[in-house]
Amino acid sequence: MSKIISIHSFRGGTGKSNTTANIATLLAMDGFRVGVVDTDIASPGIHVLFNLDESEITHSLNDYLWGKCTIEQAAQDVTGHVGGEIKGQIFLIPSSIKAGEIARILREGYDVGLLNDGFRDVIDRLNLDYLLIDTHPGLNEETLLSIAISNALVIIMRPDQQDYQGTAVTVDVARKLDVPKMLMLINKTPTSLDFDDVRARVEQIYNAKVAAVLPHSDEMMTLASSGIFSIRFPDHIVTKGLRSLVDQLKA
Amino acid sequence: MNESLFDNTLKELEARTEDIRPSDVVMFSEPLRSALNFMIRLGRFSLTELSEKLEFTREQSKQIADHLVERHLFVISRFSNDEETFYESRLSSLTRPLTRPPSDIWKKID
Repeated sequence: MSKIISIHSFRGGTGKSNTTANIATLLAMDGFRVGVVDTDIASPGIHVLFNLDESEITHSLNDYLWGKCTIEQAAQDVTGHVGGEIKGQIFLIPSSIKAGEIARILREGYDVGLLNDGFRDVIDRLNLDYLLIDTHPGLNEETLLSIAISNALVIIMRPDQQDYQGTAVTVDVARKLDVPKMLMLINKTPTSLDFDDVRARVEQIYNAKVAAVLPHSDEMMTLASSGIFSIRFPDHIVTKGLRSLVDQLKA
Repeated sequence: MNESLFDNTLKELEARTEDIRPSDVVMFSEPLRSALNFMIRLGRFSLTELSEKLEFTREQSKQIADHLVERHLFVISRFSNDEETFYESRLSSLTRPLTRPPSDIWKKID
């Protein structure tokens, strides 16, 4: 049975899209068929990690929401874009990166119910094992929808006071939506901090399992979203943390 | 399940004049919230399953489901037959309402 996993953070800049792309890649390396939907319509970006050029995006999530194409037509096979040995397949449903189309969706809004239909349809039509939803930071109807239909939720935060407070809101909402599995991922942790202490503190505050504590990484910064970190740095401590997260999501 | 709990649940739904969105589900009282969370995650389900989750009678659950269909949270599935009604969760057909900015900024972007 296929699983829907939402990846969310209350604040921006936590590494949400990067984490989503890496989870997708690690799952596909294990032989799974994985779909990734960029629901961050206002500020899309995950296509960059999959090296998908604007000229290659024939249809986007926006087109689907406007009835111009099916959700399947908006899904692009990016397996060959990530490099490495991928036994499964990765399909990306990108949001439009055209300024006029972003403006239109912000101005006119769209049928949120269509997103729900699209998520279900794309799982069936592409025979997906996993559908990953890269959400918009903060809380809005789309994010709540994503969490409401997800089998698992990954909440990403940095060890930062603003993140601590905002994450509490997300955790509270996720609990009210009865998410079956909720995992915390602490990202960009300064290496000067005691990781075990950070983990214990977060688990105590939110009463939720921390899947991994990832250090701030100069290699990640240098890669600058030009590829998939776990492919470029397979033995890196960040990749090991992401692998642990994926194993917990699969369990 | 006592009658007053059903009556309160029904009143909660009857008080709504707009389509039900995910943010509304979060605010519903029990047992409605938990039952809806479960059904939404299932995606496709029967009246029997809804009734079991709500712990209301089949007739009471049908009344609840009718309201949820009216408010576009559920749609009746084409697989329904004389013996069983099946539903699919839709989570509102409303277009997300947005406030137009006071300036004419959109024209500049277009």
